[in-house]
Amino acid sequence: MRLELAGKQFDGRPVLGPITLELAPAQRVALLGPSGAGKTTLMRIIAGLDTRFHGLRQVPERLAMVFQEPNLLPWRTALQNITLPTGTTPDAARALLAQVGLEGRDAAWPRQLSLGQQRRLALARAFAARPQILLMDEPFASLDADTAGRMLDLTARLLDDSGAGLVLVTHDPSEAAFLRAQPLRLRGTPATLDVGEPGALPPHPRDI
Amino acid sequence: MSDRTPPAPATPARRPRWAALAPGLISAALVLGLWATLAAIGDDPRRLPSPLLVLGRLWALGASGELWFHTGMTLARVLAAFAVAMVAGGALGLWMGRSATADRWLNPSLVVLLNLPALVVIVLCYIWIGLNETAAILSVALNKIPVVAVLLREAGRALSPDLDDMARVFGMRPLARLRHVVLPQLAPAIAAAARSGIALIWKIVLVVEFLGRSNGVGFKLHMHFSNFDVARVLAWALAFVVVMLLIDLLILRPWQDSANRWRQDAA
Repeated sequence: MRLELAGKQFDGRPVLGPITLELAPAQRVALLGPSGAGKTTLMRIIAGLDTRFHGLRQVPERLAMVFQEPNLLPWRTALQNITLPTGTTPDAARALLAQVGLEGRDAAWPRQLSLGQQRRLALARAFAARPQILLMDEPFASLDADTAGRMLDLTARLLDDSGAGLVLVTHDPSEAAFLRAQPLRLRGTPATLDVGEPGALPPHPRDI
Repeated sequence: MSDRTPPAPATPARRPRWAALAPGLISAALVLGLWATLAAIGDDPRRLPSPLLVLGRLWALGASGELWFHTGMTLARVLAAFAVAMVAGGALGLWMGRSATADRWLNPSLVVLLNLPALVVIVLCYIWIGLNETAAILSVALNKIPVVAVLLREAGRALSPDLDDMARVFGMRPLARLRHVVLPQLAPAIAAAARSGIALIWKIVLVVEFLGRSNGVGFKLHMHFSNFDVARVLAWALAFVVVMLLIDLLILRPWQDSANRWRQDAA
């Protein structure tokens, strides 16, 4: 993936300055910065949701995203929430449901699931798309510490298994460290990227 | 927030169906009693026939087969106009709800059509197109299209941008998006438009038949009006009210209920 951004404005107000972001296959980066720094704006440009910017965007064919909210279809069952957006088979979807701890909940409506379960369903949906790069926009922000910890564990495992790259938007450097994502800081107005020292990556908790 | 399934909310004990229906049945019986009393006091069957007399006429119409033919003709026109109005009005409303430009250009025409008396539309259609079925159905649909469009425009404006993002990131195809993302969000507005629409449409269909068709309930009403035959006018009206109530009860309501299944909190 390669993004060469010359700049992005909202109503003439520049929010993002020149930014170049390049990702090798399976590489993981985290966009860090205070709220309002333009992290989500940059994420939406990478995801192709915002096309009004100056610059060049090259992304692999298969992208998937985990949003701040689960963004499920409340009128479709858990299984259909995986198969319909991603086009994957029901069997593959069931296997993923089992992997995120939702075995046997195929027929549940999203409203019948707790928020933690809804988020795991959204995670399963993202991996069902077999993404070459997974985009995550503050996916753990509104969770309590316990649930967030379990979501992080699950995300790390699925990322390792699938070999997908990662762009994570977060304000919490420890999340980035846990997922072994290279921290990149968004700073200034208009914001630019401040590449952290490479090689300073903390080891994965499981490797210790 | 825990990671466990939320407990099932305490559902209030549901009253049996007949208990919920009782007030409606009693009030209908009271109206019927009032009608019978007034008919007895007036003692002028030509002006206000008794319910029993009207029922007798209805029975005779059913036995002769006339009832089924004309009710069927009217019903066919209602359904044709309803389908045209829902599809055309729905597409127009959705387009106006999604595009501000379309809304600015089309809104004046919509407001004019919304305020044009039904009778004017009917008369103009008959004059311009001729006294035929096309004109009849088109004039009814034209009366209903703006109402459907306004309802669907509001619903189209309220579509969730988050779900739109989701569908775009995952590259859902346009038809799948319409079916699984857009239409379920519009379902409450479509149901409201359908139920208010069918009620409005059958009344306008009777006027259209009254003015320029040679069959249907409206045509029969015209005939009996010329003869001041109040008993038969009431018999036809009653028959068609029953048909429309049955459609609401047996088709529209069950469909609305099944479309709302996902709103339940616990299995």
